[in-house]
Amino acid sequence: MIFLYFDAGTGAMIVQGLVAAAAGIILFSKGIMYKVKSFLGLMKEEEDTYDSIDVEEKDNGANDKGK
Amino acid sequence: MTRESNFAHQASFRDPSGYMFYDGAILRRAINPIYFPQYTKLKETGFFATLIDKGLLISHEETSVSKEQIILTPEKIPFITNPYEWSFEQFKHAALHTLKLQKYALSQGFILKDASAYNITFHKGRPVFIDTLSFDFYEENTPWRAYKQFITHFFGPLVLAKYHGTDIFKMMQTHIDGIPVKLIASMLPKKTKLSSTLFTNIHLLAKMESKHKEDYKAETKIANLSRKAQNNILDNLFNYIKNLKLNEATEWGDYYTKTNYEAAAFDAKKELIKEWTTALNPQKLIDVGGNDGTFARTVLDKVPHVIVTDIDSNSVDHNYRQLQKNKETNMLPFVCDVLQPAPGVGFNNTERASLIERLKEYAPDVTLALALIHHITLSGNVPFEKSAEFFATFSKHLIIEFPKRDDSWAESLLVRKREFINHFDFYNETNFEAGFQQYFTLEKKETVAGTKRVLYLFKTKGYGG
Repeated sequence: MIFLYFDAGTGAMIVQGLVAAAAGIILFSKGIMYKVKSFLGLMKEEEDTYDSIDVEEKDNGANDKGK
Repeated sequence: MTRESNFAHQASFRDPSGYMFYDGAILRRAINPIYFPQYTKLKETGFFATLIDKGLLISHEETSVSKEQIILTPEKIPFITNPYEWSFEQFKHAALHTLKLQKYALSQGFILKDASAYNITFHKGRPVFIDTLSFDFYEENTPWRAYKQFITHFFGPLVLAKYHGTDIFKMMQTHIDGIPVKLIASMLPKKTKLSSTLFTNIHLLAKMESKHKEDYKAETKIANLSRKAQNNILDNLFNYIKNLKLNEATEWGDYYTKTNYEAAAFDAKKELIKEWTTALNPQKLIDVGGNDGTFARTVLDKVPHVIVTDIDSNSVDHNYRQLQKNKETNMLPFVCDVLQPAPGVGFNNTERASLIERLKEYAPDVTLALALIHHITLSGNVPFEKSAEFFATFSKHLIIEFPKRDDSWAESLLVRKREFINHFDFYNETNFEAGFQQYFTLEKKETVAGTKRVLYLFKTKGYGG
């Protein structure tokens, strides 16, 4: 169970379905744009020093599926 | 420091899972039995170990375990900065860090149960998550309960800063649980409704929140949200924030090309500071009004921990970028207006300590105040003895630069007083020394070659030796 120690906001919980749907569309179209741009060699270098959202795990069993 | 043993930390009371307390001078974390299942699982699955190993979460040691309480001792952080003291880039990185943690937690069957900006601070040159008890079990297909908090603490302030400048972050002082969604929505230009990210995450959220605000019995059914859908929200927010830029962002104006003295004098000043500072062998140093850290960097390899503050968020940003580029781990920049330092805010006015209290606790061995006193005195109209009192509150040694009346910058500030210029006749070396000697003893004094500026080394009265 989750301990409700602060109010998460009912509206905020409900709206996430719609937020996720919009996000899905944006990510999908960005993915296509990325492929087109890298195909045409139009990729710009990243300015931000913060790396990526994904935590890299060296010993993650998920990477060994093919073995 | 005299502090009662087992004194609970003033900022640690909102979460019933545990609390921080001072065991003498050491800050520890107590975990209550209500959080034991989560803690055990987080520890046994190696979740904590991975995050600590990656530098994403502050490290801790398990000090004691009993049926009633588990005690952890986290790594000590020399100085805590708060969201209203961050530059744009720092605020961005804190937000990205939070999303990264939530995404990883989700992949491991956990969630971040809150997304408070106060759970992040800057340590060793990068953001780090400091609330070890913020993780909970993920329940399949539930939305992220800290989503709204993420918007009010991070996304909202960042988007507002884009349109209104980084002064917006100061609103975090008056809204300790983040800027209300409705207020964020009302302050954004209408055109932001055309962005699907801003429309859904802010405008639609504000609408839904006011629609459901009378759900007193919490009986509205919460819709399901798949893990994939939640990841989409996180990825999209991450991408959006990563690309966010300030509208007003002027390119770094290179302050030091605007100095009123020659390169040789600039180097002479650097040498003098280096020489005086090194002789004091400080462990901790603060440069107040230190711009992008140019002068503090001359002693960075000799001082284990260095803080550089500036009123200009752009300078702090520039410093932050430099330290990330150079991988400097002992430099902490943050935004501070000396004439209006961050107050104590939150419950009891003590939840987030004032800047002065934090500086007193930090107790720097050396305080640098270069090209600052003329601003405090002539722009802020602060008498010398009041400035001296401010520095004496937290400093042991003070290296302070005094631009004489005929220094072109002091001159410019003086002429802007127009008919009131005579009110500032007191601005001279003699009065400066008299004012500061009320709180300090004068140790050294030297004119910086090629300038109309004098460098002083003062020692605070009452500090032995």
